[in-house]
Amino acid sequence: MRLRTKEYEAYLFILPALSMLIVILGFPFVMAILMSLNLAWVKSSLLGFTFENYSRLFRDRVFYNDLIVTLSFVLPTVGFHLLLGLGVALLLNMEIKARRFFRVVAILPWTIPDVIAGLIWRFMFDPLSGIINSVLARLNLIQLPITWLSDARLALPSVVFAEIWRGYPFVMLLLLAGLQSIPQGLYEAAKIDGASAWKRFWHISLPNLSRIIMIAFTLDFIWECRRFGLVYNMTGGNPGHATEVLSLYVYKNFFIFFNFGYAAAIAVVLALIMMIISFPYLKASMKEL
Amino acid sequence: MFRRNTPDLTRLLIYGALIFVCVYNLAPFLWMISSSLKTEAEVKSYPATFLPHVVTLEPYANILVWGGFITYFMNSAIISFSTAFISSFVGALAGYGFSRYMFKGRTSLMTIFLASQLLPGVLLVGPYFKMLTFIKLYDTRIGLIVAQTTITLPFSVWMLKSFIDTVPVEIDQAAMVDGASRWQAFFKVVLPLIAPGIVATTIFAFLLAWGDLLWALCLLSSPSLKTVTLGITELVGQFRIRWAELMGASIIASLPCVILYLFLQSALTRGFTAGAVKQ
Repeated sequence: MRLRTKEYEAYLFILPALSMLIVILGFPFVMAILMSLNLAWVKSSLLGFTFENYSRLFRDRVFYNDLIVTLSFVLPTVGFHLLLGLGVALLLNMEIKARRFFRVVAILPWTIPDVIAGLIWRFMFDPLSGIINSVLARLNLIQLPITWLSDARLALPSVVFAEIWRGYPFVMLLLLAGLQSIPQGLYEAAKIDGASAWKRFWHISLPNLSRIIMIAFTLDFIWECRRFGLVYNMTGGNPGHATEVLSLYVYKNFFIFFNFGYAAAIAVVLALIMMIISFPYLKASMKEL
Repeated sequence: MFRRNTPDLTRLLIYGALIFVCVYNLAPFLWMISSSLKTEAEVKSYPATFLPHVVTLEPYANILVWGGFITYFMNSAIISFSTAFISSFVGALAGYGFSRYMFKGRTSLMTIFLASQLLPGVLLVGPYFKMLTFIKLYDTRIGLIVAQTTITLPFSVWMLKSFIDTVPVEIDQAAMVDGASRWQAFFKVVLPLIAPGIVATTIFAFLLAWGDLLWALCLLSSPSLKTVTLGITELVGQFRIRWAELMGASIIASLPCVILYLFLQSALTRGFTAGAVKQ
């Protein structure tokens, strides 16, 4: 139920937030699009624009490479987040001792900034001082140290590995809340009917979680698409462009090469990818209003 | 789902899996702590030792001697607190408006708030940098705080709206019948009732601002203004990495996040799932 009186009051409540959104997000957004089109005011009258930056994208091998790197970073990361998150959520939803302790530990990786997680894992993967090679060497699994982050084939999987560790607790939290909202009676009834644990999971838990899995997937996908700090600190996009995600390429084009228009064009493409993927989520959220 | 009469083997498997999760989650933390207590020589040795042979606090002393670190830490605190405070306050106002009124453009406005989260930071930071340079706010705390606030704002609005939705509208009406104005009903009646939600939102905004690198990297240049994440990041690039010091600094920089989270875990969990789970 809502109050229907004095409609103008509503705008007063929303105005501060809305004006900030317009000035700080809306304005730069429009500016970015105009920049990507090389829009120019010719003698304060006619606007001239070109699609040069966008056609350049099609010819840019680095862009193709970075697009593939982004997808190869985002998709496995999100996939493992969902798998691990679901597994750990199921564990924590059981009747276990020291549940509070396990829950706190389960969430820890996600509480530290991704910038710092990037540093920790860069150190762990360090060929000489890192712990990963140390363990492998002590188990006699390797003779020479592996150069995880400077090997073009190993660098991206290493970064993905780090981000899987850091990000899965968030997905786990969402799924755990989802599991807890499923009425216990459904499980009791299934048990009486003789359904096995696997069947109860497949026919009760999963269908009831479908909505929240969609939400978790979308949020995670968006966040991983814009991931910057972890990659910046772990590899900086190196070796070559092997771990250069698009957000890093945009940053480099803007703040290192000063190709403003081109940087904006890449960013617009990245935003488009994110919008397409999150469309079902947006639509579903709108229904809730 | 899992009762006392569950067979011992299943029980063993479950606790085995839980312990595996603990090791997986904690190993990087333990490694970070252990390394921060090693001498420079030991931290460079191959293969790396698991625990320090000689425990030393020298890395921490070195961090303090750097001097810049304390400034960076304070800068992060100022910027994150301001961001968290402003975005929760402005967000609560807007959340109230969306929750309590039907008005023209309500749905489209809420869609705009939701969709604005889809704009990647790298898309906005370039033009925003140009705007700031134009109005001479580049390399100021205000420029960064305003940017961070706006980034956390859409989330705060949605989250606080879902909290305000749980407060029956009759409560506002009762307060107004008793002579309270709309503002008083909001400030004195509704806000106290959603205190857990405000706390959760504030913390989340704080954590987002604290962990940011991109915006600080692009909008700040003076050493006296740099945030802790930016300061640590720059240490990596400068010279041969001193891992013991870097891990010590990382621990100090992560500590506020970990502590805040552990104190307020349940509120935050509830906040995240408030809109996502049907009660």
